[in-house]
Amino acid sequence: MTGRLWKAAFLSSLPVLMGYTTMGMAAGILLARNGGISCAPLWGLLTSSTSISGALQFILVDWARNQTALMTVALLTFCLNIRYAMYGLSLLERFHGIGFWKKLYLICTLTDETYALEVENKYPAGESSLSYCLLVAALDHLYWVVGVTAGTLIGGVLPFSTKGIDFAMTALFLVILTDQCREKSNRVPAAIGVASAVIARLLFPIDKMIIPTMCLMLATFLVCRRKLEPLTEEIAK
Amino acid sequence: MSKLLYLMYLVLVTAGVTFLLRAFPFLAFGHTKNGRPPRIVSYLGRMVSPAAIAMLVVYCYCSYFQGHTLPEMNYGIAELAAGIVVVLLQLWRRNPLISILAGTALYMLLVQKVLC
Repeated sequence: MTGRLWKAAFLSSLPVLMGYTTMGMAAGILLARNGGISCAPLWGLLTSSTSISGALQFILVDWARNQTALMTVALLTFCLNIRYAMYGLSLLERFHGIGFWKKLYLICTLTDETYALEVENKYPAGESSLSYCLLVAALDHLYWVVGVTAGTLIGGVLPFSTKGIDFAMTALFLVILTDQCREKSNRVPAAIGVASAVIARLLFPIDKMIIPTMCLMLATFLVCRRKLEPLTEEIAK
Repeated sequence: MSKLLYLMYLVLVTAGVTFLLRAFPFLAFGHTKNGRPPRIVSYLGRMVSPAAIAMLVVYCYCSYFQGHTLPEMNYGIAELAAGIVVVLLQLWRRNPLISILAGTALYMLLVQKVLC
């Protein structure tokens, strides 16, 4: 790993440095203030280094406080992060033939932002693309862990009210949804998601709405596949 | 279940599910050279991703009203206003950090100083 490679990876990851430390800190503050747990920095460090997922880090605070049923936790984590599986599908060929441990690390660190940088793949001429991707992944990982852990430390001593800071999670989902809906092919499934959730909420209490919503969504996708599949593909072209 | 034990399970479940999702394409289709997933898998994947995020937005909004009457919540003015600001900023500047921080700051201001 040369200095040139380090410099290139660091410069590419600068926007992520700003984003991850700030968002991580917000999530960390939230965990320390609203998580209802002792040793928040320890849990911040543990969760941020093992899952590296922004939205998850926020929603996890509610789960820690309410001791939400683990089945619900698993399902919501699944819903929240299924997009990572889509990223992997598009990286199958790129990552083909990479050694086991390096591939494992690239998979573990695959976030929205790291994925974007790895797809962009602006490694300096004459350097290894793989080393560049590993370096970017490790830097992003570090920013996130430092941000969250710092937030949990700060959160314990903040002198002002943080009431309402939990809106950051809703805002994060709105941002992801807004960006997804720029693509026309994502608008129909997003509308189906909203409709399924509203119907499920009308029929079930909030803590039991996730499984019915998923069932409604999947049933709609499967039943209407003939109509929906060509639609999404046509627009995608 | 004690809180400590629950938190340990929480870390295991969230990290485990997230890892399996990230690894799924490589585990399922990685062994075949130039392996492509079956059409139904990529179709469902394309559909579920935006639908799930949309569902989570609805879920978040529902959770604000949980256990409160509409007048108690000022009919959701703060939640709606902050949400609209986030979407408009994101459409305009395309910078997640600006959108999220501005929306959250507005929401905190509204619920702490204006609508209380």
